[in-house]
Amino acid sequence: MALIELEQIGRRFGNHVALHDVTLRLEAGRIGLLGPNGAGKSTLLKILMGLLQPTEGRGRLMDVDIRRGGIQLRRLIGYMSEADALVPGLRGAEYVALAGQLYGMPRGEAHRRAHEVLTYLGLEEARYRRLEEYSTGMKQRLKLAQALVHDPPLLFLDEPTSGLDPAGRDAMLRLLLTLGREHGKSFILSTHLLNDVERVCETVVILYRGRVIEQGRTEELRTSRYDRYRLQVEGKLGGLVDDLRAEGVQVLSATRGRRAVSLGPEIDAEIGENGRLPVSELIVLVPQDWRTRLFFTLADNRGVVIRGLQRDDEDLEQIFHRKIQETGTTEAVRHGAG
Amino acid sequence: MGRVSLLGYRPWQGTLHGAWMTPWPISRVALGMVFRRKLFWLLYLLGLFHFLVYFGGIYLFYQIDIPSLAGSNPQVIRFWTDTVRAIQEQLYMAGTKETYRNFIWLQGYVVMAVLALAGAILIGNDYQYGSLPFYLSKPLTRWHYLAGKFLAVALFVNMLTTLPALVLFAECALMEGWSYIENRADLLLGILGYGAVLSVSLGTLVLAVASWVRKTVPLIMVWVGILFFGRAVADSLVDGLGLDARWRLVDMWNNMYLLGSWCLDVAPQLESGRRFITRPQPEVWEAAVVLAAVCGACLVYLDRRIQAVEIVR
Amino acid sequence: MSPAAPVGGRPPILHFDRVSKWYGPVIGLNEVSFQLEPGITGLVGPNGAGKSTLMKLATGQLRPSLGVVTVMGKSAWSAEAKWHVGYCPESDVFYEEMSGRDFVRAIARLSGYGASEAADRAENALLLVGMSDQAHRCVRGYSKGMRQRIKLAQALVHDPELLILDEPMNGIDPVVRRDLHRLFFNLAERGKSLLISSHQLEELERLTDRVMVVARGRLLAQGTVTEIRDMFENQPLTVRIGCDRPRDLAGALLRLPEVLGVELGSGGMVTVRARQPQRFYRAFGQLVLEENLDVTHLETTDCSTQAILEYVLQESL
Repeated sequence: MALIELEQIGRRFGNHVALHDVTLRLEAGRIGLLGPNGAGKSTLLKILMGLLQPTEGRGRLMDVDIRRGGIQLRRLIGYMSEADALVPGLRGAEYVALAGQLYGMPRGEAHRRAHEVLTYLGLEEARYRRLEEYSTGMKQRLKLAQALVHDPPLLFLDEPTSGLDPAGRDAMLRLLLTLGREHGKSFILSTHLLNDVERVCETVVILYRGRVIEQGRTEELRTSRYDRYRLQVEGKLGGLVDDLRAEGVQVLSATRGRRAVSLGPEIDAEIGENGRLPVSELIVLVPQDWRTRLFFTLADNRGVVIRGLQRDDEDLEQIFHRKIQETGTTEAVRHGAG
Repeated sequence: MGRVSLLGYRPWQGTLHGAWMTPWPISRVALGMVFRRKLFWLLYLLGLFHFLVYFGGIYLFYQIDIPSLAGSNPQVIRFWTDTVRAIQEQLYMAGTKETYRNFIWLQGYVVMAVLALAGAILIGNDYQYGSLPFYLSKPLTRWHYLAGKFLAVALFVNMLTTLPALVLFAECALMEGWSYIENRADLLLGILGYGAVLSVSLGTLVLAVASWVRKTVPLIMVWVGILFFGRAVADSLVDGLGLDARWRLVDMWNNMYLLGSWCLDVAPQLESGRRFITRPQPEVWEAAVVLAAVCGACLVYLDRRIQAVEIVR
Repeated sequence: MSPAAPVGGRPPILHFDRVSKWYGPVIGLNEVSFQLEPGITGLVGPNGAGKSTLMKLATGQLRPSLGVVTVMGKSAWSAEAKWHVGYCPESDVFYEEMSGRDFVRAIARLSGYGASEAADRAENALLLVGMSDQAHRCVRGYSKGMRQRIKLAQALVHDPELLILDEPMNGIDPVVRRDLHRLFFNLAERGKSLLISSHQLEELERLTDRVMVVARGRLLAQGTVTEIRDMFENQPLTVRIGCDRPRDLAGALLRLPEVLGVELGSGGMVTVRARQPQRFYRAFGQLVLEENLDVTHLETTDCSTQAILEYVLQESL
């Protein structure tokens, strides 16, 4: 049984088409939902929660019909909203217990479980505080607690790391990964932060202008580039770049401090004579049968030090932008033909 | 064998019951929020003022032994007898159907003030602090949500009207004995009926107004506008300008009063100054139609206003 | 960190000289000194570290309790200095009923431009942030990302030399984010200085490798990520190496005096813990040549902004 199966789901609001021909088959697991603002992510989530009827198509979520499921769907889903969604005046434990009761847990069970979940999420101390006193980081955990209280098989997480500082974000992502890997929770993580998705999700769905433009396992979407490398080099680049070229290596770009550096003779212009030598990054395209040992030989000849060497595979950010660009081009072609 | 259980995540195995239970926790939380306000208890104490007057009045009516109080002087006896009768006639404190009807009528002002407060806290807060998405993302519909809020509002209404009225009934029964209950059992039904009319109409009205206005101060202004201003308009049109009695239908509280009078089987009269005098009133069924129409409109409005669409942005 | 000499004799764009700031008994910033270099600098630190205080001092919204803040040689508190500074606050500061365009125009008017110039400048700023086509709408209906872009536009409207941006990427979607990154690079290219605070360190890393780490009211580190990382002499570096002969590599690595530990992982990966980064990398280059190895992967896993933030916080305990 697939977690979510959608067939040609469409939703329009008047003239505006929010979703068009969305066909998806997602297995249980950690799913990232990506897309720019207005791509239809929230419309899709609403349809999956049974809060909005699709105007076309049909679908099932854990074998529940999304057109008729309504309440039944929401019982399977723990929803963590991006907005605060708190009930002022309540204490942490009361709030989570209330969520449990709303999900349909008996009152006593909800109360017991609220304490358990809050302790698990590291809010043990804050359980009896009023919600108004919670910090951003605590609120995010609290929102996760209220989504987990009835132990749902599926979680919808809307920007769960927004407003968190680096340590808080790291902790939240680790928590999500544990929930997914060790406790078998499936979730849909909807976020603008592609790094978050890259860290915790196995599968991604990219929505763009109401259509699914890509879905699949992150690994499979990535174009492997066996012939492209990223080199981090400490020292002056001039000689090395010349030598690389002489060996038939194409230098595609050079950056220093994330800023592009011209590949011409002025490549080392901003490096002073004394003081520390900066680290620059080169992206190179190597000829066939290239041995990476040659990088080290050339660097050694020129007295520079290689501090890093990686295959230049795409990251999620690049996949995302490539897909969006491809879609834009196809649409342009289609419009041109029509 | 030893056992290690780390403080990790534990699955929960249990059955979830249906959405029909959800109004209870919603209303419990709502009550908690209102009961925490000191202003509420202040208003409630104010509401008990009428109750105490009636409670004492009824006690006096049954207990006063005029001869023992006034000695044997016939003039003094006459004075006291007149006074007691005046109280009876003017305030109807003899545990008759008018007693309950008038008592509930007099509670009107306090009920409205309490509901303005409750409406702002129950509904307005939910919009302001984003609690609505919290509720509606759970397995329940907006009608369960509204039912929960409605239960809370109904409790406030009944805490101020039906409940004290029932206490007064019990007092009369204690004073007069079993015969009172036997003879006046229909009054019990009447009180409950009046209470039901008030709960239903005021509940839907306050929920609709609160979800329309959302903020506390404007909410109180609109609420006052609808109820107090409505009455002022009705009075000046009918009593002042001498227009048709149907104009009084714009006064919602009066419409409920008419229906309540009908429940208690009393001729509709209206208070004026110290005395209860007969004033021109529209027909009971007309008031019922107006109330039903207003409640219906409120429900339609609520149906549109409490939209699930607002949940996931 | 010795303060760099003024570039080309000009006063530094932003200079904090032993600046402290307290609010009643609460200390926001505790004797902070630095000079900002042109280009993009990231400002990182945990919540409540003093980042916002630092930014408000730089924009002249707050007056230091001790010390001096200057912008291009003028006190940050003065009107002249404010002329050179653009500020994008973290919190929303709008008149909800106004359209985005009117808001930016109003800010331009407040900067002292005449009506027509204000309108031109507003239009230009809106174009830069990609909001021209949506600026006629009321701010009330804007998404988080749109609000963010309007705030950015109002900071850019007077073409300032120094931009102080407090969490500018909050709620911005990846497509717009890429456009804004281009805009920031562009501004840096034109010699502007940008000080950008962010909690999203990987995002920040795409913009710049130069950071200032603030925690507990103090400036704990300033420089490029690699520079700062190398300063933690006693925090061994963790390096992941992929290679055709992992066991030979591991053996050879153990002979290097800088190496503290070697671990063989799955998939031919070796994880090394080493001290003294600069010497280690030089020695590693030699080792590859001597042992005739084919290295497919070489990555310092703890040389990220995230890692240095953690180390800085640890070390300063």
